[in-house]
Amino acid sequence: MYRAVNWGLMLLTLASAVGLYAIKYSTRQLEGRVQKQERRLEAAENDVTVLMAERAHLARPERLEPLARALGLVPIGSGQYLRIDGSEAPAPPPRPAPQSK
Amino acid sequence: MTAATIIIPMPRAGDGARPAPGAVARQRRRTLLTLGGMLACLALIGGQLVRLGLRGGPDIRMSLAEPLAKSWSRPDIVDRHGRLIATDIALHSLYADQQLILDLDEVVEKIGAALPGVDAAELRKSLADKSRRFAWVARGLSPRQAQRVHTLGLPGLAFRSELKRAYPLGALGGHLVGTVNVDNKGIAGAERMLDDTGRAEAVQGPGRTLKGPVRLALDIGVQHALGEELKQASTRYSATGAAGLVLDAAKGEIVAAVSLPEADPSRPADWLDPARADRLAGGTYELGSIFKVLTIAMALETGAADLDRIVDVRQPLSTGPYTIRDLHPPGRPLSMREVFLYSSNVGAGMLALEMGAEAQRAFLGRLGLTEAMRTEAGPIAPPLLPKTWGRTETVTIGYGHGLALAPLQFAAAIASLVNGGLQIAPTVLAGAEPGERRRVVSAATSAQICELMRLNVTHAAGTGRRAEVEDYRVGGKTGTAEMPGRGGYREKAVISSFVGAFPMDAPQYVTLVLLFEPQSGEGSGTGITAGLNAAPVTARIVERIAPLLGVLPRRVEAGVP
Repeated sequence: MYRAVNWGLMLLTLASAVGLYAIKYSTRQLEGRVQKQERRLEAAENDVTVLMAERAHLARPERLEPLARALGLVPIGSGQYLRIDGSEAPAPPPRPAPQSK
Repeated sequence: MTAATIIIPMPRAGDGARPAPGAVARQRRRTLLTLGGMLACLALIGGQLVRLGLRGGPDIRMSLAEPLAKSWSRPDIVDRHGRLIATDIALHSLYADQQLILDLDEVVEKIGAALPGVDAAELRKSLADKSRRFAWVARGLSPRQAQRVHTLGLPGLAFRSELKRAYPLGALGGHLVGTVNVDNKGIAGAERMLDDTGRAEAVQGPGRTLKGPVRLALDIGVQHALGEELKQASTRYSATGAAGLVLDAAKGEIVAAVSLPEADPSRPADWLDPARADRLAGGTYELGSIFKVLTIAMALETGAADLDRIVDVRQPLSTGPYTIRDLHPPGRPLSMREVFLYSSNVGAGMLALEMGAEAQRAFLGRLGLTEAMRTEAGPIAPPLLPKTWGRTETVTIGYGHGLALAPLQFAAAIASLVNGGLQIAPTVLAGAEPGERRRVVSAATSAQICELMRLNVTHAAGTGRRAEVEDYRVGGKTGTAEMPGRGGYREKAVISSFVGAFPMDAPQYVTLVLLFEPQSGEGSGTGITAGLNAAPVTARIVERIAPLLGVLPRRVEAGVP
């Protein structure tokens, strides 16, 4: 009788050990997936930061101004402001270019 | 162990049968053997622990040294409209474990070829020390550089990811933004403010801070326009340097601040170059006639004079070793208005003398001009006051000599005078609450100063008439200050300046333009005086930045006259 109980308990212990191992293995797998996702998230965050910095670099006024001037655009002037009812006074003539030395 | 105990067959109660004597002895031997094995294992573990404890030595210390190589994670810096100025980017940094390096010559040679910026002699010296297990080889490598080193496959070298500050706008607003050192720690400007106020966090590796961006008062559109106009002016007038400032008159926010030559935040060495020092906050200058705004304000505020008061400026003013003359003597007595319009040194000196040194010092003190000032980005160069404040000093300070000020501090005082008379403190942050503000002059005095500044631009005799921008009602005062040199003042070396405000009927912004040692051109309309250079530069700046700042042109605001 005791021998049977002992065998039963031993098998139960072995089964528990196998079960525990399986759970641990699956936990480790999940942890690995979480870490992988965290790394991907970090990489994506870094990519977003780099892209934002690149966008700011490409949109810097120093770069845009010559491009805009090449397209015939000029800085906004007071003459471009109008009242909706058209009752504004006439715009002053544009300022002449400064004299060069 | 538990299973082994269970399966030992034990005599059962009532069984009656006794185990064989040999079997009991065998069981006892097995038990002793098992216990002996366990004791041996425990002894081994204990022995190892004792050995590790006694050994100590460099291995343990080295393993602690590496994690101490930390860096700082910083929040983004954006301008007042949320446009990105500075951000952290994770980059690879290369380090070496000296004890794992097999061939030092090979490492130095190959790293030198892959990363030309690395000093080979310095690298050899740091890697030759075999008692250490950590040394930086190169930090902030681009992905391409890191890949190049990785493909070399050199043992003893490894990468770690680190944050590095990136400034996508280059040198734009550099002096205000500041810079960081190799550990990403702020050492100047707004970057230092982030460290001083605990917004930067010490991290190991590329851990990004969760703190939101810091919004500066700076407007990068206005900053660019101001910088471009100053660069053109600097070339046009062959100036050795130039500086400009746009200050919100009511809040004290620094909307744009340019000091040429600029300092690039991505090159920290620029902060060690005296030629690139910030002329607005880092240097003090005798500002000349723009100081007369303060002298006239003092006379009006103390009630010593009104704008119609006549001052006899026909004779030069003698004080101590100096004889003060006017640049263009009018040859008749002048009213206070005309003293301002003609920028009369004699008139300003006489008014200052009339009020006395004590009153002058007290008034300048009320405007915050006799004590050191600071912004969140750091201290402003303290004012250089005269050692003795006697009669001569009172007269010379009256027209802007004998007291050297940082231009930023001076502009803040002018903003306090034109905004209705409430003191402001310059700030680099947008939306900072000004708190309880002290009145420095009455609203009536402030209105009179605004009237004078506008008159100086609209009147045919005004020195600032070239600053006129009809639509934006500019007002201001010119200043042409001789620069001090060996044994006195240098006549041909001047600082030309124009302090202005717009729109003058209710000033929203104060501007200050400084040209250092401008040269006279050929033909009419050129010269080294501020009315011929700093004033027209201000007009061009205001014309360009007023629409960006949302100031409506008068003809639109008022409609058809």
